[in-house]
Amino acid sequence: MERIAHGDRAAFAELYERFSGPLYGTALQILREPSEAQDLVHDSFVTLWEKAARFDATRGTVFSWAITLVRNRAIDRVRMRRRRADLLAASAPSDLGLGDDHAFASGADAASTSDEAHAVRAAIASLPAEQQRALELAFFTGLTQEEIARTLHTPLGTVKAWIRRGLLKLRDLLARRP
Amino acid sequence: MIDERHEELAALYALDQLEGDERAQFETALARDPTLQALVRELRAASSALAHTASTIPPATLKERVFASIAAAPHPAGSAQPPTPSHATRPESSGGRRPSLLREFLPWAIAAGFALVAAWTGVRYKSEQSAAVQLRREHALADVALQGVRQQLEAERIVTRRQLQVLDQQVNEANTRLAQARTELERATANLAAATNQTGDRARRLTEAEHQLGLARAAAGDLERQLADRERQAVRLTQRIEALTAAGADITHQLESARNRIAQLTAEMELQRDIADFKITVLASMVKDNPQALAVAVWDPTKKEGVLQVEKLPALRPNQDYQLWVVDPQYPDPVDGGVFNTDPQSSGTRFIFKPRQPVSAVNAFAISRERKGGVAKAEGPIVLLGK
Repeated sequence: MERIAHGDRAAFAELYERFSGPLYGTALQILREPSEAQDLVHDSFVTLWEKAARFDATRGTVFSWAITLVRNRAIDRVRMRRRRADLLAASAPSDLGLGDDHAFASGADAASTSDEAHAVRAAIASLPAEQQRALELAFFTGLTQEEIARTLHTPLGTVKAWIRRGLLKLRDLLARRP
Repeated sequence: MIDERHEELAALYALDQLEGDERAQFETALARDPTLQALVRELRAASSALAHTASTIPPATLKERVFASIAAAPHPAGSAQPPTPSHATRPESSGGRRPSLLREFLPWAIAAGFALVAAWTGVRYKSEQSAAVQLRREHALADVALQGVRQQLEAERIVTRRQLQVLDQQVNEANTRLAQARTELERATANLAAATNQTGDRARRLTEAEHQLGLARAAAGDLERQLADRERQAVRLTQRIEALTAAGADITHQLESARNRIAQLTAEMELQRDIADFKITVLASMVKDNPQALAVAVWDPTKKEGVLQVEKLPALRPNQDYQLWVVDPQYPDPVDGGVFNTDPQSSGTRFIFKPRQPVSAVNAFAISRERKGGVAKAEGPIVLLGK
């Protein structure tokens, strides 16, 4: 990141190769709209290039920073879209693609499966189904905790507990990777 | 040691699920607690790892766009890092060396020079400083403008995308309507074809009906001819019937004649049969002085009557009559057969007699001379007798 902060295009190209798959996949998963996802990922990479110097390694990894950037922007758009949809009295949930399909299983492009992706999928697959579903909704949609609870027809406290346990277990599983 | 409550808040925070006061309070706690910060880092890394599950290779054009954009926009580090503004171009000493002539003025000249340089440098420094401030302002303004342009572009992109979606929707609706119109057209074409077929069928039926009408007319003509024939036949038959009726009348008449003839013949036959049963008796004179006197009696047993023919009987006195008697064994005395008188000119007579009492068998007839009007029981002399 430091090289990028100094304008190293080769380093930036390397970062693009590593991050573009998960960033684009996440944007696509949240927005469900390829051209919009591409625009968002484009803008995010430009921001990474421009703001590389502001990266603070003490607050997290570069990937966390990049994915947070993409997620926040995508969720903002989805929420804006939902506000618009609400204004238009259209139903939001179907726009968000919260069908029965499982994002963890269906979202990935087979050609882009990396070791990282395999490891993460394996770790997630070992979580109880309700924890998987809660994490999926929290990460890949613009839904708030309350909305997730309503979507899953589950008390809010239970949803929070699922998120806590699921994320802690995922952390432990990923930490144990070779 | 982090409690469950803070673990939960950290997990929600790592997933950007905290909002408002909850988020602010947690961030305050987070700022004070390195352990909590470490947990948040780990959990954020774990949540970020979820992105790998959705990893999708973007189109190659995205990479081209990204690199074109960063090539067009100068890197902030590149613009920030350039060497500091030029304070290198310090001018050389202004004048040439003037060794001796100006020696006494040299210190003044140097002093004046330093003063000038100092003044110039000060002016230049201020100028550079203000220029740098100006540049920073301009840069900030440019940043703001750039942000504004980006936001505007973003807004336009959203609006354009929305318009595109609307257009897409309209195109889809138009396609749907087009498909409906096509369906309707196909249906109408099918209906037209069906109608054409029906018209053809009707035309065929009409032709057929006309043909049948022609046949019917021909049949009607035939029937009319047949009717005329029948009428003629009827006339002939009527004539024939009349002729036959006439013939029948003749026949009836002939039949009637025949019946009459048969009746006549029957009567004659009966008569002949009756005649066969008739009893014919000749009465002879019982008087010596008038032996030529004669009478014939014919008795019809069926009618219980008879005819008496008398000839040559002597004329009677005015107070006398001849009286006929019928002898029937069932009676002790002869039965009165009636009185009669002879014709003075022919001395005879003929008359039909009917006995006063029922007679079943006739044994003999007798004629006596009695007083005028006759008597119930013979009193006078018998003049004629026949058995």
